Amino acid sequence: MSFLLLFWEYFQIGLFTIGGGYAMIPMVQQMVQKHGWLTQAELLNFMGIAESTPGPFSINLATFVGMKVGMAELGVFGGVLGATIATVGVVLPSLVVIVVVTKILNKFMQNKWVKGALNGIRPVVVALILSAVVSVVLEVILPNFSVKQTVAKLLQTIGLPSDQFQQQWQGFAEQSFGEFNWVSLLLVCVISPFAFVKIGNKKINPVFLILASGVLGLLVFGVFGVQQ
Amino acid sequence: MNKQKVSLWQLFWTFFKTGAFTFGGGLAMISILEEQLVAKKKWMTSQEMLDMIVIAESTPGVIAVNSATHVGYKLRGIAGALLATLGIVLPSFLLMIGLYFVVDAFQGNVWYNAFFAGIQCCVVALIANAFVKMSKLVQWNALSIAMFAISFVVSTATNFNVIFLILIGALVGIVATFVQGKKQQLPIDNALDQKQGGAQ
Repeated sequence: MSFLLLFWEYFQIGLFTIGGGYAMIPMVQQMVQKHGWLTQAELLNFMGIAESTPGPFSINLATFVGMKVGMAELGVFGGVLGATIATVGVVLPSLVVIVVVTKILNKFMQNKWVKGALNGIRPVVVALILSAVVSVVLEVILPNFSVKQTVAKLLQTIGLPSDQFQQQWQGFAEQSFGEFNWVSLLLVCVISPFAFVKIGNKKINPVFLILASGVLGLLVFGVFGVQQ
Repeated sequence: MNKQKVSLWQLFWTFFKTGAFTFGGGLAMISILEEQLVAKKKWMTSQEMLDMIVIAESTPGVIAVNSATHVGYKLRGIAGALLATLGIVLPSFLLMIGLYFVVDAFQGNVWYNAFFAGIQCCVVALIANAFVKMSKLVQWNALSIAMFAISFVVSTATNFNVIFLILIGALVGIVATFVQGKKQQLPIDNALDQKQGGAQ
Protein backbone atom coordinates (compact mmCIF):
# COMPACT_ATOMS: atom_id res chain seq x y z
CA MET A 1 0.00 0.00 0.00
CA SER A 2 2.87 2.34 0.75
CA PHE A 3 3.85 2.17 -2.91
CA LEU A 4 0.50 3.41 -4.17
CA LEU A 5 0.50 6.14 -1.56
CA LEU A 6 4.05 7.08 -2.46
CA PHE A 7 3.14 7.39 -6.12
CA TRP A 8 0.03 9.41 -5.42
CA GLU A 9 1.79 11.77 -3.01
CA TYR A 10 4.69 12.39 -5.38
CA PHE A 11 2.33 12.78 -8.31
CA GLN A 12 0.55 15.55 -6.41
CA ILE A 13 3.84 17.17 -5.48
CA GLY A 14 4.93 17.08 -9.12
CA LEU A 15 1.61 18.50 -10.24
CA PHE A 16 1.33 21.34 -7.79
CA THR A 17 4.83 22.75 -7.42
CA ILE A 18 5.67 25.58 -9.68
CA GLY A 19 9.08 27.17 -9.54
CA GLY A 20 11.29 24.14 -9.17
CA GLY A 21 12.66 21.81 -6.57
CA TYR A 22 12.93 24.06 -3.55
CA ALA A 23 9.26 24.86 -3.74
CA MET A 24 8.65 21.15 -3.17
CA ILE A 25 10.30 21.08 0.25
CA PRO A 26 7.25 22.08 2.33
CA MET A 27 5.14 19.45 0.56
CA VAL A 28 7.76 16.75 1.05
CA GLN A 29 7.97 17.74 4.73
CA GLN A 30 4.22 17.47 5.09
CA MET A 31 4.17 14.14 3.27
CA VAL A 32 6.83 12.32 5.29
CA GLN A 33 5.35 13.63 8.51
CA LYS A 34 1.82 12.61 7.63
CA HIS A 35 2.79 9.02 6.83
CA GLY A 36 5.61 8.75 9.36
CA TRP A 37 8.04 7.74 6.60
CA LEU A 38 11.02 9.79 7.74
CA THR A 39 11.87 12.02 10.67
CA GLN A 40 12.49 15.67 9.83
CA ALA A 41 16.14 15.18 10.80
CA GLU A 42 16.49 12.29 8.34
CA LEU A 43 14.86 14.39 5.64
CA LEU A 44 17.33 17.16 6.35
CA ASN A 45 20.22 14.71 5.92
CA PHE A 46 18.72 13.54 2.65
CA MET A 47 18.43 17.15 1.49
CA GLY A 48 22.11 17.64 2.22
CA ILE A 49 22.98 14.61 0.10
CA ALA A 50 20.56 15.58 -2.68
CA GLU A 51 22.14 19.02 -2.76
CA SER A 52 25.71 17.78 -2.93
CA THR A 53 25.24 15.18 -5.66
CA PRO A 54 24.81 15.90 -9.36
CA GLY A 55 21.38 16.10 -10.94
CA PRO A 56 18.19 17.94 -10.08
CA PHE A 57 17.80 18.37 -6.32
CA SER A 58 14.20 17.20 -6.11
CA ILE A 59 14.77 14.12 -8.27
CA ASN A 60 17.65 13.12 -6.03
CA LEU A 61 15.47 13.69 -2.99
CA ALA A 62 12.54 11.74 -4.47
CA THR A 63 14.79 8.78 -5.29
CA PHE A 64 16.12 8.78 -1.75
CA VAL A 65 12.76 9.09 -0.06
CA GLY A 66 11.42 6.34 -2.33
CA MET A 67 14.35 4.09 -1.39
CA LYS A 68 13.71 4.60 2.29
CA VAL A 69 9.97 3.97 2.09
CA GLY A 70 10.36 0.93 -0.17
CA MET A 71 13.22 -0.63 1.86
CA ALA A 72 11.04 -0.55 4.97
CA GLU A 73 8.39 -2.50 3.09
CA LEU A 74 10.19 -5.00 0.87
CA GLY A 75 13.94 -4.76 1.37
CA VAL A 76 16.33 -3.88 -1.44
CA PHE A 77 13.90 -4.79 -4.21
CA GLY A 78 11.25 -2.66 -2.53
CA GLY A 79 13.76 0.18 -2.22
CA VAL A 80 14.50 0.24 -5.94
CA LEU A 81 10.79 -0.08 -6.67
CA GLY A 82 10.00 2.77 -4.28
CA ALA A 83 12.70 4.96 -5.82
CA THR A 84 11.31 4.27 -9.28
CA ILE A 85 7.76 4.97 -8.22
CA ALA A 86 8.60 8.25 -6.47
CA THR A 87 10.69 9.47 -9.41
CA VAL A 88 8.11 8.54 -12.03
CA GLY A 89 5.41 10.07 -9.87
CA VAL A 90 7.14 13.41 -9.59
CA VAL A 91 8.08 13.57 -13.28
CA LEU A 92 4.86 12.31 -14.86
CA PRO A 93 2.62 15.36 -14.38
CA SER A 94 5.14 17.77 -15.84
CA LEU A 95 5.84 15.41 -18.74
CA VAL A 96 2.21 15.61 -19.78
CA VAL A 97 1.83 19.32 -19.05
CA ILE A 98 5.00 20.28 -20.91
CA VAL A 99 4.07 18.33 -24.03
CA VAL A 100 0.67 20.02 -24.12
CA VAL A 101 2.07 23.47 -23.36
CA THR A 102 4.82 23.17 -25.96
CA LYS A 103 2.18 22.33 -28.54
CA ILE A 104 0.20 25.46 -27.82
CA LEU A 105 3.18 27.48 -26.66
CA ASN A 106 2.44 30.95 -27.90
CA LYS A 107 -1.22 30.96 -27.07
CA PHE A 108 -0.46 29.60 -23.61
CA MET A 109 2.23 32.06 -22.63
CA GLN A 110 0.43 35.07 -24.07
CA ASN A 111 -2.79 34.18 -22.32
CA LYS A 112 -3.45 36.85 -19.72
CA TRP A 113 -5.28 34.44 -17.43
CA VAL A 114 -2.28 32.13 -17.36
CA LYS A 115 -0.07 35.11 -16.60
CA GLY A 116 -2.47 36.24 -13.90
CA ALA A 117 -2.51 32.81 -12.27
CA LEU A 118 1.28 32.66 -12.32
CA ASN A 119 1.48 36.14 -10.79
CA GLY A 120 -0.75 34.88 -8.00
CA ILE A 121 1.19 31.65 -7.47
CA ARG A 122 4.67 33.19 -7.25
CA PRO A 123 4.27 35.00 -3.90
CA VAL A 124 2.74 31.83 -2.43
CA VAL A 125 5.66 29.72 -3.63
CA VAL A 126 8.15 32.19 -2.18
CA ALA A 127 6.26 32.12 1.12
CA LEU A 128 6.41 28.31 1.10
CA ILE A 129 10.16 28.39 0.66
CA LEU A 130 10.52 30.86 3.53
CA SER A 131 8.37 28.56 5.62
CA ALA A 132 10.76 25.73 4.72
CA VAL A 133 13.68 27.91 5.84
CA VAL A 134 12.01 28.49 9.21
CA SER A 135 11.30 24.82 9.73
CA VAL A 136 14.80 23.64 8.84
CA VAL A 137 16.36 26.33 11.04
CA LEU A 138 14.20 25.16 13.95
CA GLU A 139 14.98 21.52 13.23
CA VAL A 140 18.68 22.27 13.46
CA ILE A 141 18.64 24.62 16.43
CA LEU A 142 15.56 23.74 18.49
CA PRO A 143 14.66 20.20 17.42
CA ASN A 144 11.83 19.78 19.94
CA PHE A 145 10.12 23.06 19.18
CA SER A 146 7.26 23.08 16.69
CA VAL A 147 5.49 26.25 15.59
CA LYS A 148 2.41 24.26 14.64
CA GLN A 149 2.18 22.50 18.00
CA THR A 150 2.73 25.76 19.83
CA VAL A 151 -0.05 27.47 17.92
CA ALA A 152 -2.37 24.52 18.47
CA LYS A 153 -1.54 24.58 22.20
CA LEU A 154 -2.19 28.30 22.32
CA LEU A 155 -5.62 27.87 20.74
CA GLN A 156 -6.41 25.08 23.19
CA THR A 157 -5.42 26.92 26.32
CA ILE A 158 -6.31 30.50 25.53
CA GLY A 159 -9.62 30.42 27.41
CA LEU A 160 -8.30 28.75 30.57
CA PRO A 161 -7.91 30.53 33.94
CA SER A 162 -4.41 31.81 34.49
CA ASP A 163 -3.20 29.21 36.99
CA GLN A 164 -4.20 26.33 34.73
CA PHE A 165 -2.84 28.17 31.74
CA GLN A 166 0.51 28.51 33.43
CA GLN A 167 0.56 24.91 34.49
CA GLN A 168 -0.20 23.72 30.97
CA TRP A 169 2.53 25.81 29.45
CA GLN A 170 5.29 25.13 31.93
CA GLY A 171 5.83 21.53 30.90
CA PHE A 172 5.32 22.35 27.26
CA ALA A 173 7.92 25.11 27.30
CA GLU A 174 10.42 22.90 29.13
CA GLN A 175 9.98 20.23 26.51
CA SER A 176 10.02 22.59 23.54
CA PHE A 177 13.09 24.54 24.54
CA GLY A 178 14.81 21.73 26.44
CA GLU A 179 17.20 21.02 23.62
CA PHE A 180 18.90 24.09 22.27
CA ASN A 181 21.79 23.44 19.89
CA TRP A 182 23.74 26.63 20.30
CA VAL A 183 26.73 25.16 18.46
CA SER A 184 24.55 24.51 15.41
CA LEU A 185 23.23 28.05 15.64
CA LEU A 186 26.82 29.26 15.63
CA LEU A 187 27.65 27.08 12.63
CA VAL A 188 24.61 28.35 10.70
CA CYS A 189 25.77 31.91 11.38
CA VAL A 190 29.31 31.09 10.24
CA ILE A 191 28.30 29.18 7.10
CA SER A 192 25.35 31.28 5.88
CA PRO A 193 27.33 34.29 4.63
CA PHE A 194 29.33 32.01 2.32
CA ALA A 195 26.13 30.89 0.61
CA PHE A 196 25.41 34.49 -0.36
CA VAL A 197 28.74 36.16 -1.12
CA LYS A 198 30.26 36.25 -4.54
CA ILE A 199 33.94 35.85 -5.14
CA GLY A 200 34.84 37.73 -8.26
CA ASN A 201 31.72 37.19 -10.30
CA LYS A 202 30.81 33.76 -9.05
CA LYS A 203 28.99 32.33 -6.10
CA ILE A 204 30.83 29.72 -4.09
CA ASN A 205 30.01 26.27 -5.44
CA PRO A 206 27.32 24.79 -3.15
CA VAL A 207 28.88 21.33 -3.40
CA PHE A 208 32.11 22.70 -2.01
CA LEU A 209 30.19 24.57 0.67
CA ILE A 210 28.33 21.42 1.72
CA LEU A 211 31.48 19.34 1.90
CA ALA A 212 33.28 22.09 3.83
CA SER A 213 30.37 22.25 6.26
CA GLY A 214 30.54 18.50 6.69
CA VAL A 215 34.22 18.72 7.53
CA LEU A 216 33.47 21.57 9.92
CA GLY A 217 30.84 19.34 11.54
CA LEU A 218 33.38 16.51 11.81
CA LEU A 219 35.83 18.85 13.54
CA VAL A 220 33.41 20.54 15.90
CA PHE A 221 31.15 17.63 16.83
CA GLY A 222 33.54 14.75 16.20
CA VAL A 223 37.12 15.74 16.96
CA PHE A 224 36.41 18.28 19.68
CA GLY A 225 33.41 16.30 20.85
CA VAL A 226 31.17 19.31 21.38
CA GLN A 227 27.74 18.19 22.54
CA GLN A 228 25.24 18.29 19.74
CA MET B 1 17.09 24.50 -36.74
CA ASN B 2 17.91 21.12 -38.23
CA LYS B 3 15.24 18.94 -36.71
CA GLN B 4 16.20 15.87 -38.69
CA LYS B 5 19.81 15.84 -37.61
CA VAL B 6 19.17 15.26 -33.94
CA SER B 7 18.96 11.55 -33.27
CA LEU B 8 17.11 10.19 -30.28
CA TRP B 9 20.34 8.73 -28.99
CA GLN B 10 22.08 12.11 -29.21
CA LEU B 11 19.19 13.69 -27.38
CA PHE B 12 19.28 11.11 -24.62
CA TRP B 13 23.05 11.21 -24.29
CA THR B 14 23.23 15.02 -24.16
CA PHE B 15 20.73 15.20 -21.33
CA PHE B 16 22.25 12.21 -19.58
CA LYS B 17 25.61 14.02 -19.46
CA THR B 18 23.91 17.21 -18.32
CA GLY B 19 22.17 15.33 -15.53
CA ALA B 20 25.35 13.57 -14.50
CA PHE B 21 27.58 16.61 -14.33
CA THR B 22 25.53 19.53 -13.08
CA PHE B 23 25.27 20.37 -9.46
CA GLY B 24 22.90 22.86 -7.95
CA GLY B 25 19.55 22.15 -9.53
CA GLY B 26 17.52 23.59 -12.35
CA LEU B 27 18.76 27.14 -12.59
CA ALA B 28 22.39 26.04 -12.70
CA MET B 29 21.47 23.48 -15.32
CA ILE B 30 19.93 26.10 -17.58
CA SER B 31 23.24 27.85 -18.16
CA ILE B 32 24.86 24.53 -19.07
CA LEU B 33 21.99 23.65 -21.43
CA GLU B 34 22.35 27.02 -23.08
CA GLU B 35 26.02 26.41 -23.76
CA GLN B 36 25.33 22.90 -25.04
CA LEU B 37 22.15 23.36 -27.06
CA VAL B 38 22.54 26.89 -28.41
CA ALA B 39 26.24 27.62 -28.64
CA LYS B 40 27.75 24.20 -29.28
CA LYS B 41 25.21 21.95 -30.95
CA LYS B 42 23.01 24.72 -32.38
CA TRP B 43 19.86 22.68 -31.82
CA MET B 44 18.01 25.78 -30.66
CA THR B 45 18.13 29.55 -31.05
CA SER B 46 18.55 31.91 -28.10
CA GLN B 47 14.91 32.92 -28.43
CA GLU B 48 13.82 29.28 -28.22
CA MET B 49 16.04 28.92 -25.17
CA LEU B 50 14.26 31.84 -23.56
CA ASP B 51 10.89 30.21 -24.28
CA MET B 52 12.22 27.07 -22.69
CA ILE B 53 13.15 28.91 -19.50
CA VAL B 54 9.78 30.62 -19.24
CA ILE B 55 7.92 27.36 -19.78
CA ALA B 56 10.12 25.36 -17.43
CA GLU B 57 9.66 27.91 -14.67
CA SER B 58 5.96 28.47 -15.07
CA THR B 59 4.71 24.92 -15.42
CA PRO B 60 4.49 22.41 -12.59
CA GLY B 61 7.45 20.23 -11.74
CA VAL B 62 11.21 20.31 -11.59
CA ILE B 63 12.78 23.03 -13.74
CA ALA B 64 15.61 20.86 -15.09
CA VAL B 65 13.24 18.04 -16.01
CA ASN B 66 10.76 20.42 -17.60
CA SER B 67 13.52 21.91 -19.73
CA ALA B 68 14.56 18.46 -20.94
CA THR B 69 10.99 17.42 -21.74
CA HIS B 70 10.36 20.64 -23.64
CA VAL B 71 13.54 20.44 -25.73
CA GLY B 72 13.02 16.74 -26.42
CA TYR B 73 9.46 17.29 -27.55
CA LYS B 74 10.40 20.24 -29.72
CA LEU B 75 13.17 18.36 -31.49
CA ARG B 76 11.74 14.84 -31.77
CA GLY B 77 8.12 14.75 -30.58
CA ILE B 78 6.84 12.41 -27.88
CA ALA B 79 9.72 9.93 -28.21
CA GLY B 80 12.16 12.83 -27.86
CA ALA B 81 10.34 14.14 -24.78
CA LEU B 82 10.47 10.71 -23.14
CA LEU B 83 14.14 10.07 -23.92
CA ALA B 84 15.35 13.54 -22.94
CA THR B 85 13.44 13.24 -19.64
CA LEU B 86 14.83 9.77 -19.03
CA GLY B 87 18.30 11.08 -19.83
CA ILE B 88 18.19 13.89 -17.30
CA VAL B 89 16.67 11.75 -14.54
CA LEU B 90 18.63 8.53 -14.93
CA PRO B 91 22.05 9.65 -13.60
CA SER B 92 20.51 11.02 -10.39
CA PHE B 93 18.38 7.95 -10.01
CA LEU B 94 21.24 5.45 -10.34
CA LEU B 95 23.63 7.49 -8.25
CA MET B 96 21.17 8.01 -5.42
CA ILE B 97 20.25 4.33 -5.24
CA GLY B 98 23.92 3.46 -4.94
CA LEU B 99 24.53 6.19 -2.40
CA TYR B 100 21.60 5.10 -0.29
CA PHE B 101 23.38 1.89 0.69
CA VAL B 102 26.50 3.80 1.66
CA VAL B 103 24.48 6.19 3.80
CA ASP B 104 22.47 3.36 5.30
CA ALA B 105 25.63 1.50 6.29
CA PHE B 106 27.02 4.47 8.18
CA GLN B 107 23.86 5.71 9.82
CA GLY B 108 24.22 5.99 13.59
CA ASN B 109 28.00 6.19 13.34
CA VAL B 110 29.38 9.06 15.47
CA TRP B 111 31.44 10.49 12.61
CA TYR B 112 28.55 10.20 10.20
CA ASN B 113 26.36 12.14 12.62
CA ALA B 114 28.99 14.82 13.11
CA PHE B 115 29.52 15.17 9.36
CA PHE B 116 25.80 15.53 8.70
CA ALA B 117 25.26 17.87 11.63
CA GLY B 118 27.61 20.23 9.80
CA ILE B 119 25.87 19.67 6.47
CA GLN B 120 22.46 20.38 7.98
CA CYS B 121 23.65 23.84 8.96
CA CYS B 122 24.68 24.43 5.35
CA VAL B 123 21.37 23.18 3.91
CA VAL B 124 19.67 25.88 5.95
CA ALA B 125 21.81 28.51 4.26
CA LEU B 126 21.25 27.10 0.78
CA ILE B 127 17.47 27.05 1.12
CA ALA B 128 17.59 30.62 2.41
CA ASN B 129 19.59 31.45 -0.69
CA ALA B 130 16.92 29.87 -2.90
CA PHE B 131 14.34 31.97 -1.11
CA VAL B 132 16.22 35.17 -1.94
CA LYS B 133 16.62 34.11 -5.58
CA MET B 134 12.97 33.22 -5.99
CA SER B 135 11.71 36.36 -4.28
CA LYS B 136 13.31 38.41 -7.04
CA LEU B 137 10.95 36.82 -9.58
CA VAL B 138 7.86 38.17 -7.81
CA GLN B 139 6.15 41.38 -8.85
CA TRP B 140 5.95 42.94 -5.41
CA ASN B 141 2.87 45.05 -4.76
CA ALA B 142 0.26 45.31 -2.00
CA LEU B 143 -1.60 42.23 -3.20
CA SER B 144 1.41 39.97 -3.64
CA ILE B 145 2.87 41.06 -0.29
CA ALA B 146 -0.43 40.26 1.41
CA MET B 147 -0.58 36.86 -0.26
CA PHE B 148 3.00 36.20 0.66
CA ALA B 149 2.36 37.08 4.31
CA ILE B 150 -0.83 35.03 4.59
CA SER B 151 0.69 32.00 2.87
CA PHE B 152 3.74 32.18 5.10
CA VAL B 153 1.73 32.32 8.32
CA VAL B 154 -0.66 29.57 7.24
CA SER B 155 2.02 27.20 6.01
CA THR B 156 4.27 27.78 9.01
CA ALA B 157 1.69 27.70 11.79
CA THR B 158 -0.97 25.27 10.58
CA ASN B 159 -1.25 21.91 8.87
CA PHE B 160 -3.31 23.39 6.05
CA ASN B 161 -2.51 21.55 2.81
CA VAL B 162 -0.06 23.68 0.84
CA ILE B 163 -1.59 22.52 -2.45
CA PHE B 164 -4.70 24.52 -1.59
CA LEU B 165 -2.55 27.57 -0.88
CA ILE B 166 -1.13 27.33 -4.40
CA LEU B 167 -4.59 26.91 -5.92
CA ILE B 168 -5.87 29.90 -3.94
CA GLY B 169 -2.89 31.89 -5.21
CA ALA B 170 -3.74 31.04 -8.80
CA LEU B 171 -7.37 31.99 -8.23
CA VAL B 172 -6.47 35.33 -6.66
CA GLY B 173 -4.12 36.03 -9.57
CA ILE B 174 -6.87 35.31 -12.08
CA VAL B 175 -9.39 37.49 -10.22
CA ALA B 176 -6.82 40.29 -10.02
CA THR B 177 -6.29 40.03 -13.79
CA PHE B 178 -10.05 40.22 -14.29
CA VAL B 179 -10.36 43.31 -12.08
CA GLN B 180 -7.44 44.91 -13.84
CA GLY B 181 -8.93 44.14 -17.24
CA LYS B 182 -12.01 46.05 -16.18
CA LYS B 183 -9.80 49.03 -15.46
CA GLN B 184 -8.41 48.74 -18.99
CA GLN B 185 -4.81 48.68 -17.96
CA LEU B 186 -2.39 45.83 -17.73
CA PRO B 187 0.89 47.14 -16.40
CA ILE B 188 1.61 43.80 -14.70
CA ASP B 189 1.71 41.99 -18.01
CA ASN B 190 4.31 44.33 -19.42
CA ALA B 191 6.36 44.15 -16.28
CA LEU B 192 6.17 40.37 -16.36
CA ASP B 193 7.30 40.25 -19.96
CA GLN B 194 10.33 42.33 -19.10
CA LYS B 195 11.01 40.23 -16.07
CA GLN B 196 10.87 37.02 -18.01
CA GLY B 197 13.08 38.49 -20.66
CA GLY B 198 15.57 39.31 -17.95
CA ALA B 199 15.18 36.05 -16.05
CA GLN B 200 17.88 34.51 -18.11
